[in-house]
Amino acid sequence: MTAGDKRKSSVEDTKAEKQESPFGIWLSRGLHQLFDDVANEPIPDELLRLIEEDRNK
Amino acid sequence: MTFHDQVIAILPKLRVQALSLTRNRAAAEDLVQDAVCNALAAQNSFIPGTNFSAWMHRILRNRFISDLRKRRETTDIDDVPASSFASPATHEDNLALKDLSMALSRLPSDQREALVMVVIQGMSYEELAEATDCAVGTAKSRVFRARRQLEAWMSGDLPTNDKLRVKVKALRDAMDARSRAGRPCDDLMLS
Repeated sequence: MTAGDKRKSSVEDTKAEKQESPFGIWLSRGLHQLFDDVANEPIPDELLRLIEEDRNK
Repeated sequence: MTFHDQVIAILPKLRVQALSLTRNRAAAEDLVQDAVCNALAAQNSFIPGTNFSAWMHRILRNRFISDLRKRRETTDIDDVPASSFASPATHEDNLALKDLSMALSRLPSDQREALVMVVIQGMSYEELAEATDCAVGTAKSRVFRARRQLEAWMSGDLPTNDKLRVKVKALRDAMDARSRAGRPCDDLMLS
């Protein structure tokens, strides 16, 4: 098995496990409900300013 | 895309990783900011063309571990309330989701991080291994153990003296009592 095959196999394993059981589906939905808001919140101005100040150094 | 553009673009993913590690929104925001400061200070050590995402996730993870070691001298991480783990109480409007939040908070941080990065961020095991600086087998094992443990907890496969079960039962009983009395119960998860 090549490294590429292994990678493909692992990616497919991950996908398969996500969908393998009702619990897996429920868990995925629950995690999205708990975490999606955090990812979608606006970035604090202070943090953006910090990055921009460093960019303009 | 410049280095700074890449930092800005990955911020949402860093927040998810930070929350999965800290279980606390405020602590997660602090961790992201500290990790960004570390990354800006170390930007010359990043080799263009290599995996920026993994580099940033490793910086955040290392910062978390470093902070945890310092804090352990004075604080027990388990003292962090599960209620502050993720969404506001209004979003956790069913008991199962609250149970999941509580169960997640009881997982070891490396397992919780691994599960969230695979499920929420869609990482492969290879990407997870690179982002968390471990072997692919270790990454896969962490995700597997997290899923198995959560399934056991959520299906009630627990010893009767398990602290989580006792806590969940107490919460359910309190919410039932409030509901029967027609009183709100949002604040219960904050206690």
